[in-house]
Amino acid sequence: MAIRELKVCLLGDTGVGKSSIVCRFVQDHFDHNISPTIGASFLTKTVPCGNELHKFLIWDTAGQERFHSLAPMYYRGSAAAVIVYDITKLDSFQTLKKWVKELKEHGPEDIVVAIAGNKNDLGDIREVPMKEAKEFAESIAAIFIETSARNAVNVEELFQKISKQIPPLENAEVDSNESFKLTRQPAPSTRRCC
Amino acid sequence: MALQGPEELGEQVEEPEDLDDQDASSISPAEEITLPPGPGGDDEPEEALLLPWDRFSAWLHCICVVGFDLELGQAVEVIYPHHSKLSEKEKTSICYLSFPDSNSGCLGDTQFCFRFRQGSNRKSSLGCFLETTDRDAPPCLKREQGHYYGYVYFRQVRDKSLKRGYFQKSLVLISKLPYVTFFHSLLKIMAPEYFEKQEPCLEAACNDIDRWPTPHPGRILTLPIMGVVIKVRIPTSYDKPGTSQLVQSAQTDSLVSIVLPTIHEVDLFRCFHPVFFHIQMLWELVLLGEALVVMAPSPAESSDTVLALVSCIAPLRYCSDFRPYFTIHDSEFKEYTTRTQAPPSVILGVTNPFFAKTLQHWPHIIRIGDMKQAGEMAKQMKVKKLKNLKTLDSKPGVYTAYKPYLNKDEEIIKQLQKGVQQKRPSAAQNAILRRYFLELTQSFIIPLERYVASLMPLQKSISPWKSPPQLRAFVQQDFMKTLEKAGPQLTSRLKGDWIGLYRHFLKSPNFDGWFRNRRKEMTQKLEALHLEALCEEDLQERIQKHTEVESVDLVLKLKDKLNQAEREQLPVRSGTLAKLRAHIEAVIQALPEDLQGILHKPATP
Repeated sequence: MAIRELKVCLLGDTGVGKSSIVCRFVQDHFDHNISPTIGASFLTKTVPCGNELHKFLIWDTAGQERFHSLAPMYYRGSAAAVIVYDITKLDSFQTLKKWVKELKEHGPEDIVVAIAGNKNDLGDIREVPMKEAKEFAESIAAIFIETSARNAVNVEELFQKISKQIPPLENAEVDSNESFKLTRQPAPSTRRCC
Repeated sequence: MALQGPEELGEQVEEPEDLDDQDASSISPAEEITLPPGPGGDDEPEEALLLPWDRFSAWLHCICVVGFDLELGQAVEVIYPHHSKLSEKEKTSICYLSFPDSNSGCLGDTQFCFRFRQGSNRKSSLGCFLETTDRDAPPCLKREQGHYYGYVYFRQVRDKSLKRGYFQKSLVLISKLPYVTFFHSLLKIMAPEYFEKQEPCLEAACNDIDRWPTPHPGRILTLPIMGVVIKVRIPTSYDKPGTSQLVQSAQTDSLVSIVLPTIHEVDLFRCFHPVFFHIQMLWELVLLGEALVVMAPSPAESSDTVLALVSCIAPLRYCSDFRPYFTIHDSEFKEYTTRTQAPPSVILGVTNPFFAKTLQHWPHIIRIGDMKQAGEMAKQMKVKKLKNLKTLDSKPGVYTAYKPYLNKDEEIIKQLQKGVQQKRPSAAQNAILRRYFLELTQSFIIPLERYVASLMPLQKSISPWKSPPQLRAFVQQDFMKTLEKAGPQLTSRLKGDWIGLYRHFLKSPNFDGWFRNRRKEMTQKLEALHLEALCEEDLQERIQKHTEVESVDLVLKLKDKLNQAEREQLPVRSGTLAKLRAHIEAVIQALPEDLQGILHKPATP
């Protein structure tokens, strides 16, 4: 089986749980007292997908504003971007929309975008309705999933969905209808954004 | 492992036998600190115990930003991480060496490197740990002892918003590791981002580097940096020279990952192109540690050429000082340019025209023009007489009165010339030239290796109850005699005065450095064999025949041995140290209780 290296970046507001999702995915571990990421941290995990092995080179970026300008280094060349928000913080969903916009304008053209609403174990203090987030994701043809890094809910599934949307090498030319295309022209679906 | 004779013994020194199955019971100093394991779960046990910034320090001393201040001139603007120490003198050196010396019009981005003397003797708390990782590195890739390298990425662009009209800044990596190609690639990723995004960028980069595995020879290292993964392998001294173990696969995207085929090799063909016809003479001059100066139009060209010179005698380590880029502000300027003494055994790379005058009295001067017209073939050039070197604009070439010992090898010249005519890729030309130098150096060094191996005492002369036998002395005459039958003529077709070359070499710093290193390795091997012999003895039986005082004496001696073995990482068979510890314990147990208490106390350092 061929190993394919796939660069993946995680974007999103500070404190939404980007590092926790990666930590759950790679090490199946959750730490309550995780310190803010500096720049970005890097982890890898290899998963089988069809006839290939996908080696995810995961760049888990810092959510803090002062590192915002570094983001292009991490989404440049990425096969996929996971944009994370916190379902209990409406602000973090607004930040997510900004990230979608930035990716559309400056990101790689054929990047697979996944939207992850994290902390779904805290449903009783939810601020972002699932329906709204889901519709937004559909409007930009992005993967949508709610996750809980703490309870290990949907984290594996998130990356499986990404894997499935990565076109296999042999027929790289074949366009999957589901795959999200970012183009420099404003797509009609963006009217919902911001 | 039975030893048959001195021949085999010499070879055992070379074997990586203890590399992988390291004695489980041997404790490196770093392991004694017990700390919860760090985030890197799949690391070596010793690596899991490293503290924050330890990994960073294993690669770099610090990162400096050097800028230009209208009032002060060049100044170190930022040192990162902020706790790193540099003396004022070192900072001054870094300032001057990080900028082009004269107004050589380096517009745009330029990369070069320099080397400077370490000011104060600062000891790293990681010292012992780093020594272990360094042990398997080839001699020319070991960590520097008294010098630092500075790897520079200099940017000079017009900027009307600035008073000076120009933006001028250098991002400089300060390290003891001679991994030129690697650090230049790293800077190529880091510096352009830094100039745009400033401090957060340095913070992110340092954070990345502090998670890297330590620079361990022989392993394939995955080094994530600012969104890209660099893959490298640091060669070991056991590698077959001239082979590369990492190959760039075709499909990789440089925004995702980069595979570096080499961490230190410069493009010899490109660097020597301007002095192409004299490469063999240059090899002799470097081998013999002659005072050499490279006068080049820019720091990039001077540092590349000096590094090419130093590396052309690989796998031999060039043991004298060398400065890929040297300026009149250097703290050693007076020492190196004085006319009251003969020029020192150093190689200097300079760009300031002032040196043409200052170093007029130097015996060998290489002048390099603009390397950009490398497509053109250098014309057949005669060696120029020194008196023809005018102070300013002299023609490119080698100015020397030196007569090479060996006859000129026309074949390599023809082969490379043909390559130029056929437009052979530069990488292929470089590979041919590198192989040529490697074979030449090996032909030269093999007779020395063989003779030195024969200085090893016989196995039967090792007695556990006597101190280890000494290596026999190096006798020049004896060595010369071996050349008749087993000289370089066995492996090289080159004719000439090989004997004269050896005679001269034996007086050079390069021989001294090489021999010291060999002697140290062989002495350690003897110590190790002695220790192994001691461990095979029945100590219990022996102490029964001796007095208490003698037993105590034995315990102290054995403890000494154990300490030495751990400190120097003696190449002992696995299990030997555990055995020795058990022996010590057994002897102590046989003594009266009051003595036991005293002997069990840890030795005061």
